[in-house]
Amino acid sequence: MKKRSLTFFLTLALGSSLLLSACGGNGSDTAAPGTDQGKQAGDSKGEVVLQMHSWRVEDVAGYEKVIKAFEEENPGIKIEFKPFKATEYNTILNTALQSDSGPDIMQLRPYGAGMALAEAGYLEPLDSVKGLDVFSKESLAAATGKDGKVYGVPLSLNTTQIYYNKKIFDQYGLKEPKSWDELIAIAKTLKEKGITPFAFGSKEGWLLSLSHGVIGPGAYNGSAFVDKVLKGETNFLSPEFQKSIERMKELTPYFPDNFTGLELTDLRTLFTAEKAAMFINGSFELEGLRKANPDLQLDFFPMPTDDGKFVITTWVDGSYGVNAKSKHKAEALKFMEFMTTKKFGETFANSLMRISAVPDVKTEDPLINKMADLISTSPTPYLMVVNFNEGNPTTKQTLETALQGMYLGQLTPEQVAQEVQKSAETWFAPFKK
Amino acid sequence: MDKTRTRTLQQKSSAKWLIHLFPLPALLVYVIFVLYPLFSAFTYSLYDWKGIAKGSFVGLQNFIMLFQQEPYNEMFARAFGHNVIYFVGEMIVQNGIAFALAYIIYRKIRGAEFLKAAYFLPRLLSVIIVGFLWKLILNPNFGALNTLLAKVGLQEWARPWLGDPDTALYAIILVNSWFGIGFAVLIFLAGLQAIPEELIEAARLEGAGGLRLLTRIILPLCMPSLTIMSVLTFIQAFEAFELVYAMQGSMGEPYYSTDTLAVFFYRLTFGGAGGGDTVAIGLGSALAVVLFAIVASVSALSLYVMRKREVQH
Amino acid sequence: MKTSIAARSLQVLFAYLFALIALYPILLMIGSSFKTNQQIFANPLSLPTSFSFKNYAELWEAVPFADFLWNSVIVSVASVLLILLFSAMAAFYIARFSFKWNGYLYFFFLLGLMIPVKLGIVPLFLLMKKLGLLNSLWSLILIYTGSGIPISVFILTGFLRTLPVQLEEAARMDGCNNFQVFWKILLPLVRPALGTVMIINFIQAWNDFFFPLIFIQKEELKTIPVGMLSLFGEYEANWSLLFAGLTLSALPMIVVFLLASKQFMEGLTAGAVK
Repeated sequence: MKKRSLTFFLTLALGSSLLLSACGGNGSDTAAPGTDQGKQAGDSKGEVVLQMHSWRVEDVAGYEKVIKAFEEENPGIKIEFKPFKATEYNTILNTALQSDSGPDIMQLRPYGAGMALAEAGYLEPLDSVKGLDVFSKESLAAATGKDGKVYGVPLSLNTTQIYYNKKIFDQYGLKEPKSWDELIAIAKTLKEKGITPFAFGSKEGWLLSLSHGVIGPGAYNGSAFVDKVLKGETNFLSPEFQKSIERMKELTPYFPDNFTGLELTDLRTLFTAEKAAMFINGSFELEGLRKANPDLQLDFFPMPTDDGKFVITTWVDGSYGVNAKSKHKAEALKFMEFMTTKKFGETFANSLMRISAVPDVKTEDPLINKMADLISTSPTPYLMVVNFNEGNPTTKQTLETALQGMYLGQLTPEQVAQEVQKSAETWFAPFKK
Repeated sequence: MDKTRTRTLQQKSSAKWLIHLFPLPALLVYVIFVLYPLFSAFTYSLYDWKGIAKGSFVGLQNFIMLFQQEPYNEMFARAFGHNVIYFVGEMIVQNGIAFALAYIIYRKIRGAEFLKAAYFLPRLLSVIIVGFLWKLILNPNFGALNTLLAKVGLQEWARPWLGDPDTALYAIILVNSWFGIGFAVLIFLAGLQAIPEELIEAARLEGAGGLRLLTRIILPLCMPSLTIMSVLTFIQAFEAFELVYAMQGSMGEPYYSTDTLAVFFYRLTFGGAGGGDTVAIGLGSALAVVLFAIVASVSALSLYVMRKREVQH
Repeated sequence: MKTSIAARSLQVLFAYLFALIALYPILLMIGSSFKTNQQIFANPLSLPTSFSFKNYAELWEAVPFADFLWNSVIVSVASVLLILLFSAMAAFYIARFSFKWNGYLYFFFLLGLMIPVKLGIVPLFLLMKKLGLLNSLWSLILIYTGSGIPISVFILTGFLRTLPVQLEEAARMDGCNNFQVFWKILLPLVRPALGTVMIINFIQAWNDFFFPLIFIQKEELKTIPVGMLSLFGEYEANWSLLFAGLTLSALPMIVVFLLASKQFMEGLTAGAVK
């Protein structure tokens, strides 16, 4: 009896190993070097399949349309779009690149972080790609390496702003604020009426630097201060920057209960369920908000500054680059070329409801057009992403955790500014004495 | 006659040689897929890394940085402290309660099988699922726990459990205990059931009461299972990663209050959450070496002491 | 028993209270999967008033769950079988022969108990790539086998050492060689410990999400935890769907456990503590 069950075991072992070689990806076919990562060398028709990786899990449907447009123009090339959860994207991509594999086309984090891949030699320079000159220098800066070469085609421009619920604003006779004091007055009124003024939470760090990216420029009056920082003429200990942190704190009474434990999803729920009236977030959130509540009367306002103007915070979001070790570089470069065309820009903007990085692309969406207009009239950079996303941990991360600490009552605004300054001094050349 | 004898001898010597093949498959798989990657990762700690590209040999510089340079030294100390709390917390909550439960079941209770199965059930879930499930339960505004508290009139107890640095780490430890308690119960129960009946009977005849019986006879005799469980808990506590990652992200949020050494390692090696963050593979690998040294030396020492004690028995 | 009735009832109460604490979150998970989002937010604690399978239907549309399940089965079963065979052979060698290096060999295996395998992820990835095993279930099987071997050798060696040698000696007298002794005598004798090894490693392999995350990128080759992870990302705000996903992921293991909980739990400790 015992013997028999053992034989059974072994047969099972043997059987399952046979089974495995059958289903483990057709044995030697997939096992051949260079074909990993799902790169198929192509089928009988000589079709090339490009792997394209991204961190936008939300965008699968939209990308399908964009890719279809490309495939129609380029028979013989197929693109497999594969997004990963944003939090795992870097892990997966870095591990793959470090062992000389990875996708043919990959979405690059903007500015310093994405360009670290170029420095390590994993990206193909794109300077010779046709049509790249349609982009402004500022746009290309997001994907330009320290060696001055361009490594990515900019995809979209992001803005951050304060979304608000028009219905609630109208109900209490509130108008878009023209100054910081007006904004606080609005928040106060809402609170008195029992409505949470801001859908805000500090559990996820990146939302904090994002919110500071909106509130901050109002306190330091936008780009003039940024220029001075970049030249090293002033720094994060300056009264302007301190004021920007203090304002983050000043908003605390207008946040929801338990806001230190809230994550993005909770905030979305609060805002789209019309329990909160304002929501500081990015242009990339627009479509999700609409989907969650199609009846939401949504609008946004740019940040009023202390010198009586207003600014919208903007930066180039991810760009796409080509793997230097790709087996199908020529085909991948074709897609890069496609990304510079107006056709791409329009398809992308309309199917994903985003602002295309290709200039002068209009969409059917009034809010997106309003954002795009503001970018050309009164932009200010998202300082932490554009210029201070370096160091380890990055200065941006340092600001995020320090703000978290401030909301938890462990740091004062002065200490937050000090931490940020300290972090920047470890790597930012103009701050090094 | 002679011929057959030599043949059996030959057969024997060839069989003798063949015996050395026995540990080979295990050894090969283990060395190739566990030891080799780990030790090559260790060598990474001796190099300077530019992002994810390997630079020049720098000796022990990464280790010096890890222990002396801000903010790494602070992060290391804080994460190490959390690992210690994690271990102590697990020992008290998970193993303490588990021993009590095992003892109650050992003293005969109706529905013992049901109880054991109930305690063990959470252990079957993937940690990623456990993390997600508890995140939903502990959600400050819509979660079941705060709703429950409000229902029974304890609203003021409701809080953002995972968003408050005073509670976040303990919440994680409790979730981990919820997850691991069934396994500990089974181990302790097996230890209890291995105690010879006669010893207990004899002690009872001598008039030893419940508490005395427990502390004088049962606990000492359960030492092997207690030690094993403690060592396992230690290893688990110092490698704590998945649950923290699933619930609090790679920054050990909020404000590093749930950061552990393994999460810190992950952050250094792969960058933080939300993306776009820099990596420091040299530092990460140095941390891996240190982490390994801590876990290996402590657990080897305790296993050694245990074996010595066993021999004395 | 000398314990007073009051103290004893307190103990019983305590034991059942903990059973409730252990089970409630799981029941909550299953119950919530049949509710709508509104019901969950309005009344997170209550049982579902009606059973809607809408979430499951939607899930089935969204992910190839049958593929995930199949992959999980293959990976777990294959790695458990390899672990059983390999570590039993190694344990036989360590426990039943006294070559002078056996002590070191044993210690060498024990070292693996303390190794967080994740720390070697980058070189491991490189290795898998060289072997052409990326996007193949073999990568997972080999890693789980490698990392499961230390604990298994530890358990099996410990168990073997407690067994008398007479049976083997008798078999040797009868002319059995080492292979036959191992196969016919030893393996049947260590069955309780094999059960332990099997269960521990099965749970481990079934639930791991880190390695498939890195090594498997083809949707149709993903195992359950990783397959569901991407779902969690996509439907973050849809709680009822999330609960259904969690339930579905946990279900296969819970069903197996309910069918054989006794064997499961006895097996878990039979070999570990003699």
